[in-house]
Amino acid sequence: MLDAHRLRQRARILRALRRWFDAHGYLEVHTPVIVPAGAMEPYLEPVQVRDGQLHTSPEFAMKRVLAAGLGRIYQIGPCFRDEEVGIHHSLEFTMLEWYRVGAGTPELIDEVEALVGAAAEAVEVEAPIFRRVSTSALLADDGDPDSWFHRWVSEVEPTLTMPTIVTDYPAWQAALARVRGDVADRFEVYLGGLELANAFAEEPSSSELRERATAADSLRRAAGRSPHPVDHAFLDAVDRMPRCAGIAMGIDRLVMALTGAPDIAEVQARHPELGVRRPPPGSG
Amino acid sequence: MALKYDTSDFRNGLKIELDNAPYVMTYFQFVKPGKGTAFTRTKLKNMLTGSVIERTFRTGEKVEAAEVEDQPMEYLYDDGEFYHFMNTETFDQVQILGSVIADEARLLTENLKVTVLFYKGRAVSVTLPPFIQSEVVYTEPGQKGNTATGATKAAELACGATIQVPLFVNQGETLKVDTRTGEYVSRVKN
Repeated sequence: MLDAHRLRQRARILRALRRWFDAHGYLEVHTPVIVPAGAMEPYLEPVQVRDGQLHTSPEFAMKRVLAAGLGRIYQIGPCFRDEEVGIHHSLEFTMLEWYRVGAGTPELIDEVEALVGAAAEAVEVEAPIFRRVSTSALLADDGDPDSWFHRWVSEVEPTLTMPTIVTDYPAWQAALARVRGDVADRFEVYLGGLELANAFAEEPSSSELRERATAADSLRRAAGRSPHPVDHAFLDAVDRMPRCAGIAMGIDRLVMALTGAPDIAEVQARHPELGVRRPPPGSG
Repeated sequence: MALKYDTSDFRNGLKIELDNAPYVMTYFQFVKPGKGTAFTRTKLKNMLTGSVIERTFRTGEKVEAAEVEDQPMEYLYDDGEFYHFMNTETFDQVQILGSVIADEARLLTENLKVTVLFYKGRAVSVTLPPFIQSEVVYTEPGQKGNTATGATKAAELACGATIQVPLFVNQGETLKVDTRTGEYVSRVKN
C-alpha cells in the first residue's frame, strides 16, 4: 500500500521548491533522460537502454543549456543509477538540480539553507540550522581513496546526525568541481543523517575535464568496468559556459528527512515489484 | 574450501565467520559516499557472547560462512558444572559448561526441547523455546485483590530461576515465563 500522507507531504514540498525558484528568478528546464553518456564519475553506473543510457544526473545537458545563455536554471526530474538499491537508495529517484550563474559555493550554501527552510515550512517542521565543517576537520586525507571512503562511511558519516554542510573536499574527489590548491571547491549537505545534496563551483575548462575523464576511465578499467562514453557536445559547451555554481539534491531523501521516513520506498509511489532486494537463490 | 559469501549475499540472519568467531547478521544497509565506491554497513551479533559489533564491508568483499549448525535436543540434567543435552533421534549426548550458558541454564527444566548451536562441531550455546512453564516453589503469601498496582515480589521457580512476579501469584501455581527477557508473562491454569 502506498502512503497517501507521505505522498501529499511530498507534493507540498515540491510546490514549495518550485515557488522558491520562481520567486528567485530561476527558469525550469527539462532535459532528456536518454542520453549518449550518462555519467563521467568512476563509481556511477548508468542504466543501459537501446538508444544510449539513462542519465545519472542532468548535469551534462543542463550545462549545454547554461552555455546557450539561459541564466539561472533548475530541473526536477527522474535520475537512474544502476546497482544502487537499499533503504536510502533507489535505482530510479528524483533529483533537483540547479545552477546559479555568476556565483560560487558560498552563495549556493545560502540558497540551500533558504530552500530547505521553505520545504520544511511546507510540511510544518522547523527549518534546520546547518553547521559547517570542512572534510579535513572530520577525516585526515591519507591520499588513499579506498581507505578514506571506508573510514568516511564507518567512522565519520554515522556522526553526521545534525544538519551539516561539509566543505573543502580532497582534490582527488573534485569530479566536475574547480580545484584550488589541494582542495576541491565543493560541498555536500547532510540532513537527518543522510547525504542530501552535492554542490560544485563548476570547473570551466573542457581540457581539464577531459583529463579527469581519462583518469576515471583508468580507474574503471582497473576495476574491470568498461569506460564511460564521452559526451563531446557537453565538453565543447563547458568552454562557453558562464562562471557558475551548481548543486544536485535528492528529493526523495529531502522528503524522508523532513517527514521522518526511514525507507526511501515510503516516499515514492513505487511499484511493489520494483526495487525489492531479494536474497540470491540457493543462499537460504 | 570454506563457503564464502560476498556483499550481494548479505541479508538478516546470515551467519559469517569473523576474527575466529561466528556472527549472525542483524542489520545491513547499502551505503555509497558522495564520490566513492559502494559499501555495506552491517551489525553483527557474536553467536558465542551475544555482543553486537558494527562492521563496514567494501562491495564485493568476501567473508567466510560460519561453520555453525543448529540441532534440536532435549535437556537432561546438570552435574553442577556441565549441562547435558541429548539428541532424541540419535541419542547423542553433549555437554556445555554452565557458566557459558548461565542466562539460559536458570530456565532449563528436565526434558525441555531446546536448540543447541554447534560451532565447528562443538556444542557452544543453547536457545530455549520463547516461553517455558515452571512451578512456583516459594514466594511470600499472595495478596488477594491486589491485581493492578504493578507492584512485584520475588518468586523462586522449580527450574531454579528467581523472577519478579505480581503480588497475587501464589506458591504452587505454574507460571509462563518469556525466555528472551526472563520475565513473568502470566499464570497457567492447571
